[in-house]
Amino acid sequence: MTTVMSKSVSAPGKSIIEKLNVFTAVALGAISAIVVWRLSLAFLPQDADSALIFSREDKITLLSMCAWFVGFMTGIGALVGPFRWLMGKDLSHEENMFLAGKDMGPKRYFRYTTDHKVVGIQYLFITILIFFLGGTLAMLIRTNLGTPEGGWLHAQAYNSIVGTHGILMIVGTIIMVTGPFGNFIMPIMIGARDMAFPRLNALSFWLIVAAAIPLLWGQFIGGITTGWSAYNPLASQAPLGMDGYIMYICIFAISTMVAGANITTTVVKMRAKGMTWNRTPIFIYGTVASVALALPAFPVFFLSQVLSAFDRALGTSFYNTKLGGSGWLYENLFWLMGHPEVYVILIPSLAALMEMAPVFTRRPLFSFNVAIMGIAGISGLSVLVWAHHMYISGWAPLLNAPFMLTTELISIPTGMLFLVLIGTLWRGRLWMTMPLMSIFALLWNFMIGGITGIYLSDVPADGFLHGSMYVTAHFHYTLMGAGLTGALASLVYWFPKMTGRMFDKTLSWISFWMVQIGFNVAFVGMFMVGLAGQPRRVESYAPTFNTANMVTTAGAYIIMIGMLVLLYGVISSARSGVKAPKNPWQAKTLEWTVDYPIPLENFDVLPTVTSDPYGYGKAQS
Amino acid sequence: MSVETHAHHEHPDVVGSRNRLGVILLLVADIAFALSMMFVYFYLRGQNVNDMWLPAATSDHPAITPLSASPGWTVTAIAAFGLLAHFYGLKGVRAGNQTQLKLGSLVAFVASAVALVYQFNTIATAPFTFNDGAYVSCFYMFAILNFVHLALTVFISLGNWNRSRLGLYVSDHWHVDIVRVWWVWMVVSSLLGAFALSYP
Repeated sequence: MTTVMSKSVSAPGKSIIEKLNVFTAVALGAISAIVVWRLSLAFLPQDADSALIFSREDKITLLSMCAWFVGFMTGIGALVGPFRWLMGKDLSHEENMFLAGKDMGPKRYFRYTTDHKVVGIQYLFITILIFFLGGTLAMLIRTNLGTPEGGWLHAQAYNSIVGTHGILMIVGTIIMVTGPFGNFIMPIMIGARDMAFPRLNALSFWLIVAAAIPLLWGQFIGGITTGWSAYNPLASQAPLGMDGYIMYICIFAISTMVAGANITTTVVKMRAKGMTWNRTPIFIYGTVASVALALPAFPVFFLSQVLSAFDRALGTSFYNTKLGGSGWLYENLFWLMGHPEVYVILIPSLAALMEMAPVFTRRPLFSFNVAIMGIAGISGLSVLVWAHHMYISGWAPLLNAPFMLTTELISIPTGMLFLVLIGTLWRGRLWMTMPLMSIFALLWNFMIGGITGIYLSDVPADGFLHGSMYVTAHFHYTLMGAGLTGALASLVYWFPKMTGRMFDKTLSWISFWMVQIGFNVAFVGMFMVGLAGQPRRVESYAPTFNTANMVTTAGAYIIMIGMLVLLYGVISSARSGVKAPKNPWQAKTLEWTVDYPIPLENFDVLPTVTSDPYGYGKAQS
Repeated sequence: MSVETHAHHEHPDVVGSRNRLGVILLLVADIAFALSMMFVYFYLRGQNVNDMWLPAATSDHPAITPLSASPGWTVTAIAAFGLLAHFYGLKGVRAGNQTQLKLGSLVAFVASAVALVYQFNTIATAPFTFNDGAYVSCFYMFAILNFVHLALTVFISLGNWNRSRLGLYVSDHWHVDIVRVWWVWMVVSSLLGAFALSYP
C-alpha cells in the first residue's frame, strides 16, 4: 500500500480500526443526529417575529444532519488516520494491510477499505442502487403523465419526485464511469499498485454513502420541490426537505474534490515505466479530464449551497432580493458548475467507448492526438458556456451573443471525438459485441442530443424552447443516450476483470436493444410534445399532448424492462456466469495482463510499457 | 523491469512529491471556492439590489455602516507571522536543526490558535444581525469560512509541532514541506478576504 512508515506502533489486541464498519457508522451517525436534534430543540432560542419562515427548524435540521455526517464518518473510521497523524502514531504496516482488506473476504466491502478494487466494486454497487432508485422515480413520473389529468400522485409529491429523480440521476451519472471503472480498472491500466492516496479513495466513497441519508431524510420533511437545480429564492421558501438537498450536495462536492485530486495524482505520478503520455490509454485521459474539470467546478456548487443554508438557517440575504441578494447570483454559481458537470459525465463515457473501439475493430485508434485535442477542447470550452442556461432570465443580455458563440464552438471538439470513433470503425473488422454496438448507439443518440442542443444554444430559438419538454428530451439524449450507453458498455467490457466471469451475452443483447429502442421511443415523444409547447415539471397537461405522452410512457416502460434484464444479467453472471479467461477481448492494455483474482497489489513485478496500447494490425506490437 | 514490489519501499522523496501534488490539487478546489466567494462579494456589491448592500436608516433601524477592515488584516498578519515561524522551522529541519524545527512549529501553532480566537471574537462582537443586508451577509461569509480555515490550520500546525517534538522528522521532512503549502494558501485566502472587506 502506498504509505510511508515513519514511526509505527504495533497494535496490541484489537485496534480501533478493526472494530469500525458500516454498522458502527450508522449507529454513531444516528445517535449523534438524535442527540443534537434533542439538544437543539431544548436550547435553540425561538425566532424573532421578523425571522424568515422555517429559520429555527432549518437550524435544527441542518445541525442534526451535520451531526449525522460527523458521527457516520467517525464511525466508519475516516478520522482515525488524521488523528493518528496528529498524535504522531502513524498506521503500522499491519494496520494498513487490514485497511486494504487483506484476507478479509466479503467483510471488506462493509469497511473503510482502501484497496482500489474494493472501492471500485463499492462504487459499482452504489451506482446501481442510485439508478434503481432514480429509475423507480422516473417510472412514477411517467406513470403519472400517462394521462393528461395526472392526479395519480399528489402535486407536491410529484414535484419532490421530479427533483429527487433529477439530483439522484445527476450524481449517479457523474460517478457511473469514474467511480467503478476509474477506481477498479484505472490503476491497473496504468500499471500502478493502488491509487496515490488509498485512504482518500475510501473517503470519497463513504462520503457518498453519508450524503445519501440527508437526501432520504429530506423526503420525509417536505421533499425537494424545486427540481434538481434548486433555484433560489424558490429554494429558500421551500420546505425543510431542501436542507437534505443542501447537505447532500455539500458532502457530495467534498467527495468529488477528494476523488479528483486522488485520480489526477495517481495518473500523473504513478504510471508504469515506459508509459509516456503518447502511450497512455485514452480512457485515462477521459477520466483525468473529467475529474480535473470537476475539481474547480464543484466548489462553486458547494458554495452556492452553503450560502443557501445561510439564507435559510441564519436569515442572511445572498439570494433574497428584498434584503440586497440576487437570484441571478445563485443561477451564476449553479451553472458555473452545472455546465462543466455535463462534460464531467460525458467525457469518461466517450473515452471508455474510444478505448473499446480499437479492441472490437482490431484497428488502432484513429488519430489519437485528435482525440486528446477533442477532450481538451471540450474541457476548456465547457467552463465558458454556463450563461446559455440563463438567456431568458434577463441576466446580462449583452452577453447572450458571446455565450451563444462559445456554446456553438463546443461542437467542434465534440465533432473531433465523433471523427475519431467513426474513423476507427471505418473498414474495421467489426467484432459484434454489445460494447461495439454501444458505439453505434452513442453516435446516433449523441448526434440527436448534440444537434438539438444547437437550437437551445441559439438565443431566439431558446426563447421558445426554454422550460419545455424539449429541453428535458435534449439533455436525456446526451446524459442517458450517450453517457449511460458508454457506462453500460464499460460494465459489459470490464465485467470479466471485475468478477472473473463473462457477462451473459444473450442478456446483454436483450438489454441493449430494449434500452435503446425504449429510449428513442420515449424521448422522441418528448421532443414532440416539447416542440408543441408542453412545459417541463408539470404534473398534468392539456389533452392535445396526450398521444405523444403515452408514447413516451410506453418507451419508459420498455427502458425499465431492459434495465431490469441488465440487472438480472449482472447478478446471474457474477454468480454463475462462464469463467472468463485472462484476456477475453484480446485487448492490449495492462489490466488484461493480470489474472483473476487480482492480487492485492495488482502486479508481482511492476510492468514496463514498450509500445502504445492500440497497436492492432501492426508488426511487433 | 522494475523490481519494486511494495510502495512502502519507495523513497520518501517520491512519496513526498506525490503527496505535494495531491495537496496542491486539493488546494485548487479550495482556491476555486475562495474565488467564488470573491465573486459573490463583488457581484452583490456591484448590483446593490434595492439599495440594500448597506441599508440606510429607517424609523426602526439605524443605518448599517461597514466595519473597519482592520480585524481582517490583523488576522491575516497573525497568520502571516505563523507562516514565517513555520518557514523558520522548515529552514531548520533542512539544515538538520531539530530544535529550530520544534521552536518554529510551536510558534506557528500558537499563532494559528491566536488567529482563530481573534477571528471568533470578530464574529461574536460584530454589531450586526445576519439579516442586515448584503454587505453584512458577505462579512459573515468571509469571517465564518476564514474561521473554518483557521480551525483546520490549528489542527495541522498542532500535528506538525507534535510530530516535530516526537522526532518524526529526523530522517525526512516532506510533511513539513507540505504543511508549508497549506500555510501559504491559508494566508493568501485570509488576505483575499481582508482585501475584499476593505472595499465595502
